[in-house]
Amino acid sequence: MSWISLDKAKGLESKFDYVKLEQSKTGIPYIEVPKEKLIEFLKFLKEDPNYSFKMFIDWTVIDHGQKENPRFQGVLILFSPDHQERVIIKSWATEEKLPSLIELWPGAKWAEREAWDMFGVRYEGHENLVRMFMWEGYPYHPLRKDFPIKGYEEVELPSLNEVERNDQLEGMFNYSRMHTALPTLEDLERTEKIRMPRKKAQVVLNWGPLHPGTHGTIWFLLDLDGEYVQQCDIIIGQLHRGVEKIAENIGYQQFIPYTDRMDYIASINENHAYVVAAEKMLGIHEKIPEKAKWIRTMMAELSRINSHLLWLGTYALDLGALTMFLYTFREREKIMDIFEGITGARFTINYFRIGGVYADLPYGALEAIEHFIEDFPQRLSDYETLLTRNRIWLKRNKDVCVLTQQDVYDYGLTGAVARASGVPYDLRKIDKYDAYGEVDFDIPIGEVGDSYDRYLVRIEEMRQSAKIVKQCINRLREFSEDDPYFFEPEDPKKLKISIDGRGLKLPEGEMYAGTDNPRGELGFYIYNKKAAIKPYRVRIRSGAFYNLQVFTKAIIGRPIADAITLLSTIDPVVGETDR
Amino acid sequence: MGIKKVGLNRNVKPQTLTEKLFFLDFMKGLKTTIKHLFRRVVTVDFPYEVTIPAIRFRGVHGLRNVDGTEPPDFDSWIKKLKIKPPEKGETRCIACKFCQAACPVPELFTIKAEKLKVPEDHPHHGLKVLAVFDMDLSKCMFCGLCTQACPTDCIIHTDVYDLSSYTRRSWVLHKEDLSRIADDFIARRGKEKFDDHSKWRKDQKIWPEYDYPRTKIWEGWMPSFLPNYKKSQSNGEAEN
Repeated sequence: MSWISLDKAKGLESKFDYVKLEQSKTGIPYIEVPKEKLIEFLKFLKEDPNYSFKMFIDWTVIDHGQKENPRFQGVLILFSPDHQERVIIKSWATEEKLPSLIELWPGAKWAEREAWDMFGVRYEGHENLVRMFMWEGYPYHPLRKDFPIKGYEEVELPSLNEVERNDQLEGMFNYSRMHTALPTLEDLERTEKIRMPRKKAQVVLNWGPLHPGTHGTIWFLLDLDGEYVQQCDIIIGQLHRGVEKIAENIGYQQFIPYTDRMDYIASINENHAYVVAAEKMLGIHEKIPEKAKWIRTMMAELSRINSHLLWLGTYALDLGALTMFLYTFREREKIMDIFEGITGARFTINYFRIGGVYADLPYGALEAIEHFIEDFPQRLSDYETLLTRNRIWLKRNKDVCVLTQQDVYDYGLTGAVARASGVPYDLRKIDKYDAYGEVDFDIPIGEVGDSYDRYLVRIEEMRQSAKIVKQCINRLREFSEDDPYFFEPEDPKKLKISIDGRGLKLPEGEMYAGTDNPRGELGFYIYNKKAAIKPYRVRIRSGAFYNLQVFTKAIIGRPIADAITLLSTIDPVVGETDR
Repeated sequence: MGIKKVGLNRNVKPQTLTEKLFFLDFMKGLKTTIKHLFRRVVTVDFPYEVTIPAIRFRGVHGLRNVDGTEPPDFDSWIKKLKIKPPEKGETRCIACKFCQAACPVPELFTIKAEKLKVPEDHPHHGLKVLAVFDMDLSKCMFCGLCTQACPTDCIIHTDVYDLSSYTRRSWVLHKEDLSRIADDFIARRGKEKFDDHSKWRKDQKIWPEYDYPRTKIWEGWMPSFLPNYKKSQSNGEAEN
């Protein structure tokens, strides 16, 4: 992870007298700015060529507990594409208010909505500060420290078996009549209306939340003038499970199965991001056994192929190419078979651990992967024969919903969406986590930034992934069976780390680290007040969440049929956008 | 930094006039489809044909009984926790609750041990036995952390995956059910998964070699299940 160099940060401190440079215990420099001067300072950071932190990464809040005053602290993470470095900027939210950043980065809009929804921090200057995941009228802010993890059980909702069939369920240990708050139909109507206070055209079309084309429970509001979209907003949160809240209440290794359930299409990559962040916080990421690193790289790339195959199948299915779905699922099934044999599960995998992987490869694993990877490029060119130069495919994708480089920086777009717009932003190259520094691969870059480019970039990514997997197989064969696959600390008394994770403590300080997932950069910001077995705050920077946000902009002026193309090429997974 | 530019006119040629006029793009697509028409069937005809889960598959849990393959430190654990030494066929569980501590959803376990009611001069006086071990599988994520935490290798994952039922009640498995499931699994596939001390075998295979339905998706291909790493091959089997 390349953070801002100390010289540069000190330069900021001497230039602005209100800037305070500090260093956390884990070695990350961060800059504290009073909130009154925040906008002025950020404008400088964004525009000055020596700094040019123009790419938005994340903007969130830490709750320091009821007793503290000010209680909330805003945390902003920015990236400088010119200098390839990151910076963390913090600002105390006095009177539970922070300035809104949507003037500087329109991508902050949803981040601020989320912080308002989860913490109750108000943003001055926000255009329409409504809830992000919960419905209007929900009385609490669930990520505050005083909100219990089980919620307030205040709605009586008995099982139909109990009411209709007189089944005796009361008293059973997995049953309760009381539930946490639920939205009523009126609540949902309010939620819908407040999202679009001013209609621009005649018809508001509701698309979703339960529509096969939305690939999950996303609720689109499209303000239509004839066939053309004038205004758009998205209601998500139907799959919100409070993963960040859960993370604060369980151990580090215990949280990995929950990350599986975020982006369930590429669960290995979700594990990977969390594991890398936790290892970097412990300071052991460089010391992970080589074998584990190569296994993890190989599995992550297989998972990327797996995820892209599902994307390709459903995307083509949505645009009317039915056969693709059957073909890609056949290849996908093979990868699932490999995952089942190696990790023990096909879908929610939980194979990686903080410190390595939980088991070595079983006999025949590398053979099976090699067999698949030898065959795969041939299959990929089959898909391309069907789609790439097909005239219908070209008509539906060429020049549809163009995203520019500026959009990428403003909205914090990452992954294939950013790369298709010509921004070579790839954490595998920037951070070189695990074995990515030692493998040879290219970053595919698009030119126009339309849906067709996003399609081509993902296809090329699959080719590159296959190339990486091949290198991993060759390298892995050189290891011996007795090489360790799990980290062993030099002094087990100081650092208790085990595969089952009991007793693992992470140090005081903070860390932001991420990996390049099929759906963009998934980053974990872990903040600890003191060394503890549970994190104080875990912020999940979801690539799919920020990528989905740009939908509301890119669809404007396009016909309604392009909504499906755009959504498919952005490729969000609701488990990750909602968390 | 390796960058590969993609796009129309970059790595994809636009359609030529001949292609447009004679619908060659459709012809090529049809050729691919027809080619696939003559390939073998890859799907498994599910209720009549089932694939056998891989040996590492994380299915319904089981509680293993004492059968002579306990880990070497089994006796010391029993002494440490003051558990009545189990005889052959009795559960290995020592009620240490490590599984619960490692579980991401700890409330799914209910584990209780109680003291034996025996007179004072009995050798087992003051020792405990496992009384309750309930698992609510409706809350379970099948992540496998409990099996990795277990010091006596008692709780294991089996290859049973059909969990559906009509009532909540049947999702709660008691210690007798769990023992029965484990016994059944160990009898069928125990040798494939565990060594003589109940640890995972080093030569576990990625899939069972007798799993015919699985080869359908791989078009008849089956790995030869050789060791993955070269260095172990040199003192074992030769490379072909």
